[in-house]
Amino acid sequence: MKTRKYTGLLLPVVISSALFTSCKHEDLAVSKPNENVRTAGDFIKNNYDFSLFYAALDYTGLIRQLNEKGPFTVLAPANKAFMELGIQTAADVQRLNRDSLKQAMAFHILTRRLMQADVPVNGVDIEYETLAGIPLYATFACYAPGNSAYSYDKLYFSGSFAYRKDVQLANGVLHALVKVMKQYPGKTVRQWLADRPDYSIFVSGLKKFGLWDELAGDGPFTIFAPDNKAFTDAGISQAVVDDLETDKYIGQRLFGAYILYKKRYFLADKILFNIVNGEASYLTTIRNDQAVFGWYDYQGDYNLSLTSGRIQPIIYYGSVDVPGALGYRLDHLCSNGIVHDTPGLLIKPEQALK
Amino acid sequence: MMKRITLVMMVFILLVLAGCRKVDYTLIDQPAYLRVFNDLNYAQSMDAKDSKYPSLCMIINPVLDAGGMPTGGEVVGDFLDKRDTYAPPYPSHVGNSTSVQNPEYPGKEDVLVGPILNGFDLSSWAQVRSGKLRIMFFYRPFNTTPFFELDDRLKHDVLVDTTLTLTAKEVYTLHVLQKDFLTKQTGLLLRQENFHKLPLSDTMAYVNFYNYSAKGFWQADYSLKNQDVSLRSFKYGVKDTMNIFLTLYKGQTTPDKSPFIKNFRGNYLGTMIRNADAGSVNPYYDFPLWADTSADGIRTDIWERLEFLVQGLDISDHPYISGGLSNTYANYAAAYCLLNGKVQIGGSSPLGSGVPLPNLLVSLHSGIDNPRTFATVSTIEIVNSHIYLTTIQRKYPGPVYR
Repeated sequence: MKTRKYTGLLLPVVISSALFTSCKHEDLAVSKPNENVRTAGDFIKNNYDFSLFYAALDYTGLIRQLNEKGPFTVLAPANKAFMELGIQTAADVQRLNRDSLKQAMAFHILTRRLMQADVPVNGVDIEYETLAGIPLYATFACYAPGNSAYSYDKLYFSGSFAYRKDVQLANGVLHALVKVMKQYPGKTVRQWLADRPDYSIFVSGLKKFGLWDELAGDGPFTIFAPDNKAFTDAGISQAVVDDLETDKYIGQRLFGAYILYKKRYFLADKILFNIVNGEASYLTTIRNDQAVFGWYDYQGDYNLSLTSGRIQPIIYYGSVDVPGALGYRLDHLCSNGIVHDTPGLLIKPEQALK
Repeated sequence: MMKRITLVMMVFILLVLAGCRKVDYTLIDQPAYLRVFNDLNYAQSMDAKDSKYPSLCMIINPVLDAGGMPTGGEVVGDFLDKRDTYAPPYPSHVGNSTSVQNPEYPGKEDVLVGPILNGFDLSSWAQVRSGKLRIMFFYRPFNTTPFFELDDRLKHDVLVDTTLTLTAKEVYTLHVLQKDFLTKQTGLLLRQENFHKLPLSDTMAYVNFYNYSAKGFWQADYSLKNQDVSLRSFKYGVKDTMNIFLTLYKGQTTPDKSPFIKNFRGNYLGTMIRNADAGSVNPYYDFPLWADTSADGIRTDIWERLEFLVQGLDISDHPYISGGLSNTYANYAAAYCLLNGKVQIGGSSPLGSGVPLPNLLVSLHSGIDNPRTFATVSTIEIVNSHIYLTTIQRKYPGPVYR
C-alpha cells in the first residue's frame, strides 16, 4: 500500500520530465524577415504597366535615387498616360529634353511616405513638396459631411486621379495615376498660351479686347482655352476675329467668358465639391457682365455652358462637352493659374453684340 | 504612558505639517466679464475654395518679439473655431467634446469665470482685466498644434489688431465679424450687455434680436452664398429691415401637429435692422412663461416659432407661408425653438422652412420637480445665412432626489 502511494507520486514527475526532455528541436526554423523586398526603383522597373515611366526615370537618372533609403512617395503614371501624350516607346522618351523631363518626373516624387490615410478627409489642394522643389496639390474627395457611410474616397494629385493607391514599397509607397501631372514652374498662363500656336485665335481675341496683359498678373486664373480647331469648326477663322470691331462687341463675354478670375480649379475640384457640398453644377456670373458660366460634372465628364443670366427669359448661348477621356489636355498648372483645353466654343460673336 | 503621549504628539505634528499646503489663488482685481464669438461663416464650396478657414487665436495684451512675432500674452484664447448655433448658459462644451476646437471664448478654456450677477449665471463669461486692452486675432491653421508651437511662418496672419476699453464689473460680448461681403473686410464688434441691470421678471421669457450680417450679403449673387440645405430659409440671408413675429405652440412631442396657444399666433414683436457696427443693446421682447393657461405652474410644454418678414408682407398671408418656395429672395426667414434644438421638422410642412434652435424655456430637474420649467433671457443673432441663439439663465436650485 505504501509503495503504491509513492508510485502514484512518482508517475507524474516521470511523465512530466519525459515531456520536457522530448521537446528538443535541433534545427528550429524561425521565419526571417525577407531582406530582398522591393525598393521603389526596382518595383517600377519590374512592372510592365510602368515601363515608360521607368524609361523616363532611367533616362533622367532618377531611378538610382529611388533605390536609396527614402522614404519616397511615387506617383506613377501608367503607360497609357504617356501614350496619350504621344510617347509610345522607350525610344520616344530618349528624344525628349533630359533636363525638362527630369523636372517633370521629379514632380511625381514626394520625399516622404504619403499614404491615402495621411491626406486630410475632404481636403482640397493640400500642398506636398516634391523632389522638383515645387509643391503639388492633393485633393481627397471622401463623403458629404456627416455621411461617411457613403464614401467615395477619390484621391487626385494636381488633378490626376490615383486609380491604384497605397502600394507598399521597402522605401516608400506608390500610387498609380491615370495621367501625367503637368506643371510649368515660373511660367504664367499668358506665357503658356503664347507658346502654343494651337491657341492663336483665342489669344488674338484676348489681345483685341484688352484681356491679355492682365493674364501675366497674380491671378490666380482658371482658363478654359478653346483651341483653333474649336474656332474654325464654329466657322470663326483668324480673319473673322481680326475683323471684329471692338466697340460693337462685349469682349468680356465673347472671349472673357472662358476665364474665371481669382479662381484656381483643377477639373477634379468639381467632382470633390459635388461629393462634399452637393454642387453638381457650379454657376458663376462672369466678370463685368450678366452672363452666367455653368460647369457641370457627370461623374468624370464635364459640360461647360454660357447663358444670358439668371433672370427670365434666359437665353442659352452655347455649351461644350469636355470628356474625361481628354484628361491629358486638362489641368496645365502654371505659376498663376491653370489652363484647360476646351474642344468647343461657348458663344458666337453675334451673341455678344452690345 | 510617556511613550504614548510622545507618539500622539508626533502624529499631531505630522498632521499639522502635512496640512500646511500653500495655495496660490488666481485673482483678477476689478475684472470685466468677456465672452467672445467667432462669427465668420465658412462653407466648403466651389466658390470658397481658395478662401481661408476661420480658425483663430485671440491674444489680449500680446507680447511681440523684435520681429513682430507673438511670443505670449496676458490672455490667450487658442483654437477659436467658428461658433456653434447654440451658445449655452453655462460652458457645457468642455464636458461634451474631446476636441480642442473651441466654439467660443472662454468656452472650454480653464480660466476664471464670472460670478452670479444679479441672479444671472455668468459662468460662460471669462474674467479679464478691466481698462485699456490691446487685443489681436490671428488666423491659424485648423489643427491641434497650440498657436505658439506652430511654425513661425504661420504666426503672422493678423485678422485684427486693436484696443478695447473695458469697465470693471461690466458684461461684454465680443464678436469677430465680416463687415463687408464683397470686400471681405472683417472687424470686431463689442457689445456691453445690460440684462443684469434690467428689472426682468422670472415669469417672463425675454429675447432680443440682432442682425450682424455683412454689408451686401443679401444683395449678393446666389452662387456666392453658402449652399448648405440645413440653413433652410436663412440660406439667402435676410434684408436690412425685417419685422419679427412670434407664435407659441403647445406640445413638443409631435411638433408638426401642435396647436397654437391662444393669443400667441403671429404676434408682432418688433423690427430688426441690420447693423454690424454698433455695439448697442437692442430692446428685449417678452412672452409669459405661463402663456399656456392649462399648465400646472411647475412645468409647461410650449415652444416658439420666430418668423422674420420683410416690411410689407403680412404674417397671416404671405407667399412663403406654405414653406414650399425654395428661394426667399431674403424676404422671409423662420426658426423654431423646440426641445434641444436638434429636432428637424419635415420638409413640406409650413414649419419645414425653419431652422431648429433650442427652446427659449429651459426644463430640467430642480428641487423636487423633474422637470421644472424656467424662463431665460435669450439673444438671437443673425449673421449672413446663419442664426445663432445665446441663452442666459438664472441660477436655479439644484435637484433633490427622493
